Amino acid sequence: MSDDIAVGIDLGTSYSCVAAVLDGKPQVLPNEWGEHTHASVVSFLDGASVLVGNNAKKNIITNAENTVYSAKRLIGRFYFSDEVKKAQAVMPYRILEGPNNGVRIGVGDKVFAVPEISALVLKEMKAIAETALGREVRKAVVTCPAYFNDNQRQATKDAGRIAGLEVLRIINEPTAAALAYGFGKDISQRICVYDLGGGTFDVSILEIGKDVFEVLATAGDTYLGGDDFDDRIMAWLADDFLKAHGLDLRQNRFCLQALKEAGEQAKIEVGRDGVADILVPGICRSPEGVVLDLKQRLAGEQFNRMVMDLVQRTFKVCDEALQSAHFTAADIDAVILVGGPTRLPIIRQSVRHYFQREPLTDVDPDQVVALGASIQAAALLDRGAAEAGQASYLLDVTPLSLRVATVGGYTEKIIAKNTPIPIEKAKTFTTSRDGQDKVRIRVVQGESNRVEECELLGEFEFSGFRVSTRGDVSIEVTFEIDPNGIVNVSAMDLETKKRATTSINLSSGLTEQDILRARDTNAGMELAVRPAGA
Amino acid sequence: MDVNFLLEVESRSQALEELDYFEVLRVPTAAAAAEIKAAYYRESRLFHPDRFAALDTAELKDRIGRIYRRVNEAYTVLRDDVKRARYLADVSGPDRARKLRFTEAEESQVKQEQKQKLEEVLGQTPNGRKFYAAALKDAEAGRWEPAERAVKSALMYEPGNARFKELLDRIEKSKPRLDPFKIR
Repeated sequence: MSDDIAVGIDLGTSYSCVAAVLDGKPQVLPNEWGEHTHASVVSFLDGASVLVGNNAKKNIITNAENTVYSAKRLIGRFYFSDEVKKAQAVMPYRILEGPNNGVRIGVGDKVFAVPEISALVLKEMKAIAETALGREVRKAVVTCPAYFNDNQRQATKDAGRIAGLEVLRIINEPTAAALAYGFGKDISQRICVYDLGGGTFDVSILEIGKDVFEVLATAGDTYLGGDDFDDRIMAWLADDFLKAHGLDLRQNRFCLQALKEAGEQAKIEVGRDGVADILVPGICRSPEGVVLDLKQRLAGEQFNRMVMDLVQRTFKVCDEALQSAHFTAADIDAVILVGGPTRLPIIRQSVRHYFQREPLTDVDPDQVVALGASIQAAALLDRGAAEAGQASYLLDVTPLSLRVATVGGYTEKIIAKNTPIPIEKAKTFTTSRDGQDKVRIRVVQGESNRVEECELLGEFEFSGFRVSTRGDVSIEVTFEIDPNGIVNVSAMDLETKKRATTSINLSSGLTEQDILRARDTNAGMELAVRPAGA
Repeated sequence: MDVNFLLEVESRSQALEELDYFEVLRVPTAAAAAEIKAAYYRESRLFHPDRFAALDTAELKDRIGRIYRRVNEAYTVLRDDVKRARYLADVSGPDRARKLRFTEAEESQVKQEQKQKLEEVLGQTPNGRKFYAAALKDAEAGRWEPAERAVKSALMYEPGNARFKELLDRIEKSKPRLDPFKIR
């Protein structure tokens, strides 16, 4: 065993969590106040300090313009995507367009790329781990939703680097949860991980054969999460208030934030107690100067009706995953629930009904992902494994098909979804013009054969091969998906066996210089211990 | 580390291009689905890159990576009955050396091939195509002399094109002086 240490970090949309394996046992590392999960909220204070975590969450209302939350919803996305447009309408912070259709967040007179915001959350997790362990932490395994595409994974990895962490691996959240569940248990089971997070939904079907964790299929929806449940309550509260007082709370940023908090609180309460009493005193003032309170009662039945279609959507994704794995719900031996929203009775009942079995209750849905990540982190540091073998093997898959754009707006599939990774596939392209010195290939991910319905990963340009008449030069392009689920593309002149030079255009990602610059900025920012003035 | 294992890694990574998927997973061609899965797990325990992640030997890691990517590739094909049957036919046939790595015959790819074939038939150079098209049109209309001139021009650009030669042959045979009384 080496004396090096690596932690596992669950970088969530709403909450993050950090864990490490200590004396062979995975454990969540609490912060100084004993909190195990930390809001993924970054609040910029005066000067160069930032407040991250549960304390920063309070600033969503008081320091709305300078407080960034749910950044994960924006990570690795293009500025023109629907998700970004939706976020612009509801987020109090400024969402701007960056170079190459990237997304930037404006805070005061500064502009940050989304991975820079996530890096601040990671920096906080690193600091929590360092305080808890009493030593420096430089290596980590970071998790992401299984259904994240290459851009989102790459951006997550960049965030880790900006935070000064060596990211040993990006692993999928449901896979991490399965690992935490089955590690060291010596079981042979088929399991389903139902992972409903703050902003994303994933389903993975795994077969555990003692030490081998084989992902058979994964499916998901990166536009569906607990936030959407809050939105339903918010909309209901706002519509009701509008009817009663003729005032739309959504028009005012302060009221909107108060509404959002009330929505989230009501969701948690209705899940726990079956009924929620909502009270926000003095939420706004009428034109006549009367101070108005927001007061409502949400019954369990009513809440269930509000979110029924969202719940239904999760089972459509389950259908898809089971079908890909060639299973029916009856073939599943155990169902693991991951993510805070799975505490809701409506979810538990529906899962029970769908799988005809009781979901497991002995795993903590908020911590299981970080625990699994820490197990993998320890495994990747274990030098003895080369000789003695690992305690567990993760065999994961790529969630989306990898395609190249062809003529007329069509695409051609190169690597199918649910193919085990790492994997590589080569394809030969020939030049189509005399004297052609460049070959351009547009790489996309998705299940449609139309290029505009897929997610663009980038345009690769190859040069430095022989220049000859058309059709005479054959370029073999190798598409590789590494164990992080990240796509690498390289090319070679088939005749001379010389590697071609590759450059990437049209990518929303950060350049190497951007990352290094961001790392310096990040290092210069101080993490505030408590809110200024508190 | 075990010397025998290192030697095995070296020889396997070198022989990779000559192995078919059954050899990669070390299973008989008649192996049952359960056997394939067991073999996949066995090879994963041996060659999973995570096992060697903590080592500093880049060369070994590179070799392991190549082997394991091929293990995954083999498993992807052999776990699927339809692909497996097609693959077995491929590697049992005379083209074995060329077909050791399975390629998806995607619909779009088939279409692309058809298009390419059509292109070969119609000529590979713009001028060859142009003259051949003109020759075909003339030949169909029975204008043999311009047809002959055009196809000869096409052959100037693509002397090896069999389809062009075939057309010239046909034109020469159909020329009116060979059969001046034919009523069309």
